[in-house]
Amino acid sequence: MDAIDYHALLPEIILAVTVLATLLVDLFTSRKSFAAITAMIGMFASFVAILTLAFCDNLTFCTSTGDRVLFGGSFVVDGYAIVLQGLFIFAGFIVVLMSVGYLETDRYYEGEFYFLIVSAVLGAAVMASSRDFISMIVALEIVSGSGFLLAGWRKGDARSNEASLKFFIIGVLALALLLFGVSLIYGLTGTQVFSEIAAASSSVEDIALFNLGAIFVLLGFGFKVSAVPFHFWTPDVYEGSPPPVTAWLSVGSKGAGFVGLLSVCYLALPSVTEIWGPVLWLVAALSMTIGNIVAIKQTNVIRLLGYSSIAQAGFMLAPFGAAAATGADLSQTFSATVTYLVIYAVMNLGAFAVVIIVGTRVGSYELERWSGLNTWAPGLALSLAAFFMSLAGIPPLAGWFAKFVMFSATIGVGSWWGYSIAIVAALNAVIALVYYLKVLKSAFFDTVPADLDVATLEAGTVPGPTSFAIGLTAAAVLVLGIFPGLAANLGDFSSDFLATLGL
Amino acid sequence: MTLIQFLIVATALFSFGLYGVITRKNAVLVLASVELMLAAVNINLVAFDVYLDDPLNSGQIFTLFTIALAAAEVGIGIAIILMIYRNRQSADVDDLDLMKG
Amino acid sequence: MTVTISEFFKESANWAFLAIAVPTLFAGWRTVTSNNIVRAVLYLVVSLGGTAGLFFMLGAEFVGWTVVLVYIGAVIILFLIGIMITRAPLGQEADLSHAMNVKAPAALLSTVVFGVITWAMIDAFGNNMIPPFEPTATSDLSLLLFDRFVIPFEVVSFVLLAALIGGIAIARQDEEVVS
Repeated sequence: MDAIDYHALLPEIILAVTVLATLLVDLFTSRKSFAAITAMIGMFASFVAILTLAFCDNLTFCTSTGDRVLFGGSFVVDGYAIVLQGLFIFAGFIVVLMSVGYLETDRYYEGEFYFLIVSAVLGAAVMASSRDFISMIVALEIVSGSGFLLAGWRKGDARSNEASLKFFIIGVLALALLLFGVSLIYGLTGTQVFSEIAAASSSVEDIALFNLGAIFVLLGFGFKVSAVPFHFWTPDVYEGSPPPVTAWLSVGSKGAGFVGLLSVCYLALPSVTEIWGPVLWLVAALSMTIGNIVAIKQTNVIRLLGYSSIAQAGFMLAPFGAAAATGADLSQTFSATVTYLVIYAVMNLGAFAVVIIVGTRVGSYELERWSGLNTWAPGLALSLAAFFMSLAGIPPLAGWFAKFVMFSATIGVGSWWGYSIAIVAALNAVIALVYYLKVLKSAFFDTVPADLDVATLEAGTVPGPTSFAIGLTAAAVLVLGIFPGLAANLGDFSSDFLATLGL
Repeated sequence: MTLIQFLIVATALFSFGLYGVITRKNAVLVLASVELMLAAVNINLVAFDVYLDDPLNSGQIFTLFTIALAAAEVGIGIAIILMIYRNRQSADVDDLDLMKG
Repeated sequence: MTVTISEFFKESANWAFLAIAVPTLFAGWRTVTSNNIVRAVLYLVVSLGGTAGLFFMLGAEFVGWTVVLVYIGAVIILFLIGIMITRAPLGQEADLSHAMNVKAPAALLSTVVFGVITWAMIDAFGNNMIPPFEPTATSDLSLLLFDRFVIPFEVVSFVLLAALIGGIAIARQDEEVVS
């Protein structure tokens, strides 16, 4: 056995230590916020470790160059892994920040809450580096397992209980389908490692069983990313879960699902785009259309964001659909999905941070209770406008660039697979404006409901950690929108490895 | 022994499990049906491992991991079912209808 | 290597296979149809025990024993505890399944799934024989587990830890936590 490259594993090791430290700190201290602080310090340290891996070439103490391949190709640290790990840690950090203020509003278990969040971040980070089915599915299970538990964290609330059980049943069913697909692929290719499956796949692609296996795997991940027609659990689970958990589910858990899809499609099955491309084309078109149309009718802001996240998943899947075209530039479609995922994560987390603050203060997430937000909290109304307009894709906020790379990647494949999905996406971008602007119209132009006392509402304060989270994400949304090259660099950095595959 | 005889047993168990997940009302029994589906996956993995004479034995190793994952899932599931039972005096999936829209 | 039906029944191992597979499938079927909740879970024990038997036939002894210990020893106990604590109708017939309007489409769906997958499997593997094999040495598995597969091995311990701690937090009774 070769010596283990501990530098490559450093982010995961720090996260694993943080998981245990969060539990211990909670056990031995009386102040509950210490657990949150431990979790944040650990995640920050892990983020720094990822930066040292990303800029390894420029650091003097760093001897290794290029991608690091460990354990016979089953664990790889490359640009893709680094970008996604950084994203998950950022998301976990923001979620902890917005949870601090929220958990204090009621009597929750706090130490265990942060423990589960950091565990989920660890699982998602390992997933991004996994290059075989075994590591990936085991890591996926931390993300989903902690998600089932966190969804039920409001123990006395029947809606939260219901969200937890629904999410659990859908989640285990998705896992069973996914595993069955994996077992079929293993039987035909004789390996669990993505690169070896890629090498073997062209010789078995005509076998019906291989196609079935791939479809079962797509089905399993389709549930995880809540794409239509596997989306029906999403709005209920999002509405019932505690809102900071919903923020994590819509970014971290969904992101983990996308990592699974990206790895399976582009790493394990890149030579058989004709199997997964058309399937995901259909799923993308349905997700965008149905997500957006149902979102228009929603009166609850959290449910609206739930359907919006289904539609956004459709936009992220569109490049997969375009990849069905023969001779498509896979590194471009891959890069588009990663760029979109990064920008979506930032703006969606910011939107949730604002929504949680307003919802807690008004005492309701029903849109009609939110009218006249501008009169009593202009700052919050402005940041709400920034995040929602970014989600809608209006320049100069980051969301426009996400849509721009998605369109240029899909049109760039130069075939009707790409043109058609781009047309569907363009129509949907217009539909999406309706409901994002509906929320803003209510917040800026309607009058405050008569039974709400404006003076009390004005007197409320935003908890420090949450305002930090809003500030951080708002700054990121502005910077990524005005200097889109940054996000594009991340996307290209993540797709470097595909160029070397020579497809 | 042929390979297909093991695969057919696995597929049948998988289909039974799928049927159970859809038709069962009690959450514990839904979970039991999912366990059947996972058992089917395990048969597939071990049978393929032996059939392919995999030098890494990755089918059998994967089976060990799915057993651990199934155990973790049952633990989580029973915890959630207990919590719900405490609030609602019922473990039926049917009663999950508070939210619609 | 291929085999015909008559050759299939001449091989003594296949009789052992049938002796395991038929009860496994019957128990699996009763697990999803029985109207007695405790019996349904006990049928699950038989079915999982049958899969362990199939693993022994395939020479996967360590995996077989793990199934016996973890599934039959531990998981089933959890199931029974879950049933008893939720005061399900113990030992009596009860309506545990949906009505016919759910059962019929579900039966159709699972039959189609079974048919399509079986057809694809026969298409892919025909009646290929499993080549002669030695029982898998447990030491080989453990060496692999701690070398090549050490990442998932460490990660699965975190899965179990998260399930344990989170499960306790969710399931414990506490009057003071209200929302």
